[in-house]
Amino acid sequence: MTLTSSIAIIFLAALIHASFQLSVSVLTLMSGHSIGKRTAHAKLLRMVFGFILGVAIMTMLLVSFSATIVTHVFDAKIPMVLWAMTCGVLVGVGVSVWRFYYRPGKGTTLWIPRDMAKFLNDRSKSTKQSSEAFGLGLSTLFAELLFIGAPIVLTSLVLVQLSPTWQLGGILIYTAVSSLPLLIVGALIGSGHKLSHIQRWRESNKHFLQFAAGSGLLVLGVYVYIDQVISTTVTAIVGGL
Amino acid sequence: MPTTHSKAIDIVKRSGKRPTEPFNADKLHASIQASCLSVRSPDGEAHGIALAVTDAVIVWLETKPEVTSHDIRRIASHHLKKFHPEAAYLYEQHKHII
Repeated sequence: MTLTSSIAIIFLAALIHASFQLSVSVLTLMSGHSIGKRTAHAKLLRMVFGFILGVAIMTMLLVSFSATIVTHVFDAKIPMVLWAMTCGVLVGVGVSVWRFYYRPGKGTTLWIPRDMAKFLNDRSKSTKQSSEAFGLGLSTLFAELLFIGAPIVLTSLVLVQLSPTWQLGGILIYTAVSSLPLLIVGALIGSGHKLSHIQRWRESNKHFLQFAAGSGLLVLGVYVYIDQVISTTVTAIVGGL
Repeated sequence: MPTTHSKAIDIVKRSGKRPTEPFNADKLHASIQASCLSVRSPDGEAHGIALAVTDAVIVWLETKPEVTSHDIRRIASHHLKKFHPEAAYLYEQHKHII
């Protein structure tokens, strides 16, 4: 795998991660409660920043943790069966996202465990400090692990084959790209946009985002399968003749 | 503050798991006001709208011995829409964001 294709895979995996909506939902809800409680604008901005920082740090930790496990177990020589399994999971999650990501009905209710959704709902309501918002950001990623797990594992498989400098660069690229929607929503809230406009946009585009995320996972799974499994097998067969 | 109503009305909670509780006009007022503030309404306007919507819900409740919290939300949202459609949208969406 060349450096360019490695970075391209990391970039696409991060874009897919970015199209998942739980952290944006929690940020919208937390901001709504804070504005409704007449929180000062400067404090609201600190809370929004704390939340985004929490999500970004947890993303970095998850990617790094996954890459560390892969390095420890396989020492950067990824067996073909692991590539094949990861591609299978990517395709499976892609189809699941197409089918299940949003619950039927109005709004942007996600297909995550309802107890987890209630916990995030309650926590976003009771968050009053930026440190609490940071903690909320950290915990939000866990609720969506079912969906973001596949792009994170793929990114770690690609990362461990890069040089240490590019490994760090890859983690930063992944974190920056996957946090983009939060940064945009945070900037909109900070600049005084109405939450109802943000939520209305999210609701009217939810099926597009769902389709884009599912398709992205399928495309990525098929591409990596061809690149890492089929081409390697064909090369081995041709070389053996 | 909203008009106090004399008749005690039980509110059946949404999931049915939590016990019923008496209708609390202040609680409704606060949630309507918070929705208005969330869409950047000025304080005075938010208070006035919340007062009007709460009064309308109290009038609707006069003939009901028992209602669900969902009913309260639906009726409040219906009246809020007349005063502030954006706030009504956010009020309706509250339970459907995550």
